[in-house]
Amino acid sequence: MIAFESVRIAYPGQVGRAIDGVSFQVERGMITAVAGPNGSGKSTLVRALLRRVPLAGGRITIDESPVDALGARALARRVAFVTQREETAFARTVGDYVALARYPHGDAGTDAARRAVEAAVVRAGVEPFLARTIDTLSGGEWQRVRIARALAQEGDALVLDEPTSFLDVAHEMLVFELLAQIAASGVAVLLVSHQLNLVARFASRIVLLHRGRIAVDGAPDVVMRGEVLERVYEWPLVVSRDPAVGALALVPLRRHH
Amino acid sequence: MIAHRGWHWPAALAGLVVVAILGVALGAVSISLHDLAAVVRGDAPASVREIVLTLRAPRVVLAALVGAALGASGSTMQATLRNPLAEPYLLGVSGGAAVGAVGAMLLRLPAASWPIGAFVGAAVAVALALGVARGTSMLRAADPRTLLMAGVVVGALANAVVMIALANVPPETVRGALWWMMGSVGDATWTSVAWLGAYALIAIIALLTQAPTIDALTLGDEAAAGLGVRVERATAQAFLTAALLAAATVAAAGLVGFVGLIVPYLARGAGLSRQREILLASVIVGAMLVIAADLVARIATPPSELPLGAVTAVLGVPFFLVQLRRLR
Amino acid sequence: MSFRPDEAASRRRRVNAPRVRAARAARAARAAAALLVAATPMLAGCGKGSSSAVRSADTGASARLTVRDDFGNEVALAPVPRRIVSLNPTTTELLFALRAGNRLVGRSRWDEWPAAAKGVPAVGDAIRPAVEQVLAARPDLVLLYASPDNRAAYDRIRGAGIRVVALRIDHIAQFERAARILGRSIGDPASGDSVADSVATTLDRVRRATRALAHPTVVWPVSDSPPIVIGGGSYMSELLDIAGAVNLYAGTRAPSPVVSVEDVVIRDPDVVIRGGGDPSRTWSRTWSAVPAVRDGHVVQVSADLVSRPSVQLGAAAVALARALHPDATIP
Repeated sequence: MIAFESVRIAYPGQVGRAIDGVSFQVERGMITAVAGPNGSGKSTLVRALLRRVPLAGGRITIDESPVDALGARALARRVAFVTQREETAFARTVGDYVALARYPHGDAGTDAARRAVEAAVVRAGVEPFLARTIDTLSGGEWQRVRIARALAQEGDALVLDEPTSFLDVAHEMLVFELLAQIAASGVAVLLVSHQLNLVARFASRIVLLHRGRIAVDGAPDVVMRGEVLERVYEWPLVVSRDPAVGALALVPLRRHH
Repeated sequence: MIAHRGWHWPAALAGLVVVAILGVALGAVSISLHDLAAVVRGDAPASVREIVLTLRAPRVVLAALVGAALGASGSTMQATLRNPLAEPYLLGVSGGAAVGAVGAMLLRLPAASWPIGAFVGAAVAVALALGVARGTSMLRAADPRTLLMAGVVVGALANAVVMIALANVPPETVRGALWWMMGSVGDATWTSVAWLGAYALIAIIALLTQAPTIDALTLGDEAAAGLGVRVERATAQAFLTAALLAAATVAAAGLVGFVGLIVPYLARGAGLSRQREILLASVIVGAMLVIAADLVARIATPPSELPLGAVTAVLGVPFFLVQLRRLR
Repeated sequence: MSFRPDEAASRRRRVNAPRVRAARAARAARAAAALLVAATPMLAGCGKGSSSAVRSADTGASARLTVRDDFGNEVALAPVPRRIVSLNPTTTELLFALRAGNRLVGRSRWDEWPAAAKGVPAVGDAIRPAVEQVLAARPDLVLLYASPDNRAAYDRIRGAGIRVVALRIDHIAQFERAARILGRSIGDPASGDSVADSVATTLDRVRRATRALAHPTVVWPVSDSPPIVIGGGSYMSELLDIAGAVNLYAGTRAPSPVVSVEDVVIRDPDVVIRGGGDPSRTWSRTWSAVPAVRDGHVVQVSADLVSRPSVQLGAAAVALARALHPDATIP
């Protein structure tokens, strides 16, 4: 649904490219993860999709039509973003916050909007929080509320940038399970995350970036190989498969004792 | 979700009407409601009619307009800058207006030209701040931090210019300039009311239509972009509308501080979170506040008047004390 | 040379006081309370004038010739000063009237009368002058306005060994005293006395001419925004009194209080005076609520005549009296 075609991105004033010829597709109905070390360009891809950084080459398309041709609100109606950072200078209620999702549709206050918001709230499991203000939420609750807001946009795609960085194990799993359900309902989920182990369990496809290029791109058991990951992360590690669950896990080795 | 009780808005409007009537009735001489009614009917004695129609009524209406405009401007600035301590005179508005008005005074232009000088000065300062922001910062021009700093730079320049100018003029001019800078609606005429009224109406309607976008902007640049906001354009638009609205109030009444800072805080404190509601509440509460402040200015130290800005400045003290306590 | 107070001048002062009081008593029926309050600054002015008059130091055999200025210091009068810096429009103008303008080596920026004064270099402000610039003119006498803000400059100039005389010139009586002191300071007491006397004579004449006339109530605004009027603490209020008018703000002690237009409307003066020389200067619209303004009972006087209490006070009183009493003959 979302296609990156030979995308090149340069940061102004810096030598070299942030993204140097990346091509991959994000399909509906599954989770596609973009992973890689810090500085490999993961968040830059999301910003390019958001059109916050210009492309130096290549193009990004949504269902075959170029992203550039879309208006800002039109893009937001097709793709919902959960960015890395969001500011909460003013306390609003969860209900008001989720309702902001209708901005690209411009139908705040209508029945259609109310239905979309209610459905999103239920799916994300944040109904108990509706009356609370967002500054009283815990990290995990806040992330789910943000996903509820993204769902209320009723887009065909959901793009998340590091959604579980600060969450504990339970909340991580809650978020990923929710994302898996969302993907299963037909949405194209694009996930940027550096937590390979979780991604390996939930994503159908991993795009592993290294210094602005794709190092490897495929199903988790293709990507989760020791020699590939060591080269990309530049650290000795092994990949093991858990005997009970069968989950692939990256285990970094200690260099000093 | 906090239920907005149906009577809140009508109660606020009724409060505004009551304060306005008090503003017209009280002053150096008290006008009774009976006399007010006579003025409306048209059969009041000439002196009462003069006081009410030429002095008090335009003054109260101008005060209401100034308060409404400052409330609207302040609530927009705070939301767009994502900072509850932002206020309408940022971006060099107050400094630029002072340069413009004092410049007109020094050039011995007629008093009617000072408001125009103030507005032009403020507009130039805002343009200068935007230019400084665009030209010097590595961040995008409309980034709130950049704009804030650019406004500080322009404001500092303007203050220096005003001080240098005032150091070399006769004392009477200094007194007049200082008085203007301390704010007053004492020169209100129906003409100035009409000008500010038309301007404020257009600007407030513009800000109301921008309200949903501003709501999205409060989430931060990236999240707002994700919702489909053209961030640079929307930020600049909101800023310019709010800053020029503030400039218009300075042209009409000099510098009236703290209103644009405190009123949105009160509106949010009442539990409002949508920008459209905060804007409207700020308009109403702002109008009430400035009418009340003008009333205090008129009756606190007879036979002279306090400057309006002095009265509103006093309000700043409890406000910042409250903010300090919340920081703990 | 003896410096006892001139006999004729003191006789005049003693004679004037009862005459002024009698004139006031005659108007008491019209505005008793206001007059009582209005009398206070006038009497205080008179009192000040006589208490710190020029006097010789004791009755010692070697009469040290000094003058006591308004900061309470005795300033020597000899040798006669040849290079004078005058930082006050009244003293600058007085020095020209005493034919000592050629001894001026410095004036304040705002001293613009007479026209010849503009040829004297401006060396600073009247309040908080830059002491270095004053000293750079190498004066042997400096005249300062006796404001507390000038204390520091006063001390510094004295510390540099230069004679400095601080004079408070807010009221008519203080002007007369300043004229006499200046006359003695430049070694020409007769001219100082003659200037003071001539002004006093003119004022007296005007006072007598208006005594029997009807006194309109007046308000004298000097600024539209903020609304500032002449109050009881100003020599301009004294001029109004002499010219046969009742200043409705004579009860305030401040020389130029800020009021509100509403207050003026309520006090409802018969006449409003404008001290600006520019008749095309438009009023702020709010002032039209004052009945006198609305009905055109506005009297203009030249700003040059009234802007400072100096040698033209007599002419100012005449102009005011003629403007206020157009049907009467004011000599």
